[in-house]
Amino acid sequence: MSSIATQAARAADLRRRGRFRPGDVALHGLTLAAALAAVSLLFLIAWKVTDQALPAIHDFGLHFLTTKTWDPGTRQVFGAAAFLFGTAVTSIGALLIAGPLSIAIALFLTELAPRWLRGPVGALVEMLAAVPSVVIGLWGILVMGPVVADHVEPFLKRTFGFVPLFGGDPSIFGLLPAILVLTIMITPIVSSVSRELFLGVPRDLKEGALALGTTRWEMIRGVVFPYARSGIAAALILGLGRAVGEAIAVTQVIGGNVAIHWSLFKPGDTLASRIASQYQGASSAKQVSAIAYLAVILLCFSLLANVAAQVIVRRFAGRHPVAR
Amino acid sequence: MTKVKRSGALLVVLALALAAAVAGTSNASTSRSSGTLKGAGSSFVAPLVAQWQANYKSSDIQYNPIGSGGGIAAITSRTVDFGASDAPLSRDQFSACKGCVQIPWALSATSIPYNIPGLNGRLHLNAGVIADIYLGKITNWNSSRVKALNKGLSLPDLKITPVYRSDNSGTSYNFTDYLSHASAEWKSKVGIGVNANWPAGIGAPKSNGVAAAVSQTKGGVGYVDVAYALKNHLQFAAIQNKSGKWALPGLRGIKSAAALIKSVPSSGELSIVNPPKAAKYKNAYPISTFTYVILPTKTSSASELRQFVFWALTNGQQYGPKLLFVPIPKVVLVYSEKILKKVQS
Repeated sequence: MSSIATQAARAADLRRRGRFRPGDVALHGLTLAAALAAVSLLFLIAWKVTDQALPAIHDFGLHFLTTKTWDPGTRQVFGAAAFLFGTAVTSIGALLIAGPLSIAIALFLTELAPRWLRGPVGALVEMLAAVPSVVIGLWGILVMGPVVADHVEPFLKRTFGFVPLFGGDPSIFGLLPAILVLTIMITPIVSSVSRELFLGVPRDLKEGALALGTTRWEMIRGVVFPYARSGIAAALILGLGRAVGEAIAVTQVIGGNVAIHWSLFKPGDTLASRIASQYQGASSAKQVSAIAYLAVILLCFSLLANVAAQVIVRRFAGRHPVAR
Repeated sequence: MTKVKRSGALLVVLALALAAAVAGTSNASTSRSSGTLKGAGSSFVAPLVAQWQANYKSSDIQYNPIGSGGGIAAITSRTVDFGASDAPLSRDQFSACKGCVQIPWALSATSIPYNIPGLNGRLHLNAGVIADIYLGKITNWNSSRVKALNKGLSLPDLKITPVYRSDNSGTSYNFTDYLSHASAEWKSKVGIGVNANWPAGIGAPKSNGVAAAVSQTKGGVGYVDVAYALKNHLQFAAIQNKSGKWALPGLRGIKSAAALIKSVPSSGELSIVNPPKAAKYKNAYPISTFTYVILPTKTSSASELRQFVFWALTNGQQYGPKLLFVPIPKVVLVYSEKILKKVQS
């Protein structure tokens, strides 16, 4: 704090003396330009996408959200319902698996693992985020797909077949493979953010709890979780944003089908995946516009998710200034 | 002070090195050819374009096989000198492209690969059965309708999984064009297009996605261009044509189908799927297709483009047969040369 104050005082002092520093001015200009470029890019994208979507918004209106047909052939009828459904099922499904998994990873790395193991394992988990999505998608088809179709799905069907989610014929393409691929993609983000949060829990609180005779689990439940709760929620929302926006890997494994059904084994499609697979070379102007409409929906959702995450983080930061 | 001087000297050296490098590359390219032509699009025609790249000397040809849809997008935004598509441009695409012409420049076929483990022989299919498989009406390989075409094959009790392209694709156009010609139900329910409202099956992106889906799914059946199927050793079906003969996607079958073209309409759009019953077409492979190059009528590299495409249409065709591309018929060549003249700077 004090060093910042002295710096500010020095800067004010320099300004008073009126000494002109070209380097400072250039730096100021450069950084300002960078910041403005980022902001204006966001607005340009939003404007361009909305502009392209206008004909479809005009044609289909809000009815677009409830129409589940997507017919780029003779009928030229477009609707987002099937993709909204697919996006919701895959991203929530992925979050349900990745959430507990990531929190477990983060807990292990901060509280339970021997010290020598923490660094390497943490780095490896984060490295998972560096694998390009197209590679994960290809791996999904060639390696994970057959395992899912031959072992995982038949097992789920045998055991939980009475639940409609696990009915239907096992296949390497479908909602479940998409959920698994997304799980792999969001686990690194959620776990590394959670790890930072857990590391931020003050040591004295944890040791105090242990000194009162709690077990390690009771300490985690009673001290670590309440302390990091809102931060974890923000991390999950970040993960959800990533899952909703992921296109390429999902396209490769989800089976590009326009349908709403309760079986996780059957193919479906998401907003992002549909945009990625059908924007290029769409044969009618109406289809291009309908795809832009999908993009508008996706953009709105991503903005909302980010804002929500920031609101939660801010609340969290306000309550626990130590952790930040 | 010395530090500043040293870094200044370093800068000068760097700048000189950079200048030398730039000069070096420009020298290299001028000595090799008169210019570079950039293209993108159809992966279907990519093996043939690769041959052209190797054998055409007047310009340096760069080709990016990103798919027909991508090729149309690239030429529409003029980020390339030519686009390539297996599907003819739609009306909306023509108007978006603002002064583009499409020229048929190669001719090949779409194969129907399948994955039936342990099948004792080649699968035989016809248009009606393929249409009903993709409509979701025939769902098992031991269906009596599949059996009727495959006497002597022991077809297993196995669910059929039809696989289609989830991205916009010229191969899908060729395939749906064929099914629309062969099945009234397909025509009214689904229609022709680079993509469709697929009634059954699973979608996979690009040829490699379809190939992977078929080879990884027991009971899978799909469609990919024949060059791709051969290169990747996919087993593909024999298809019954309208004359009742069994045809494979080979040179003879494609050539026979191409005999269907008597004249070229002003749009340049050619369809040679499902030729009628006639002695002339008795060997025809019914899922054959032309593939197109899309050129801007006004471009600064007009003369190089004209020269290259003319060469591809004439001399370039000799590299086709090895890759199962049939040299384009005379009537199409005459048309293509005429349209090529519209490309001006």
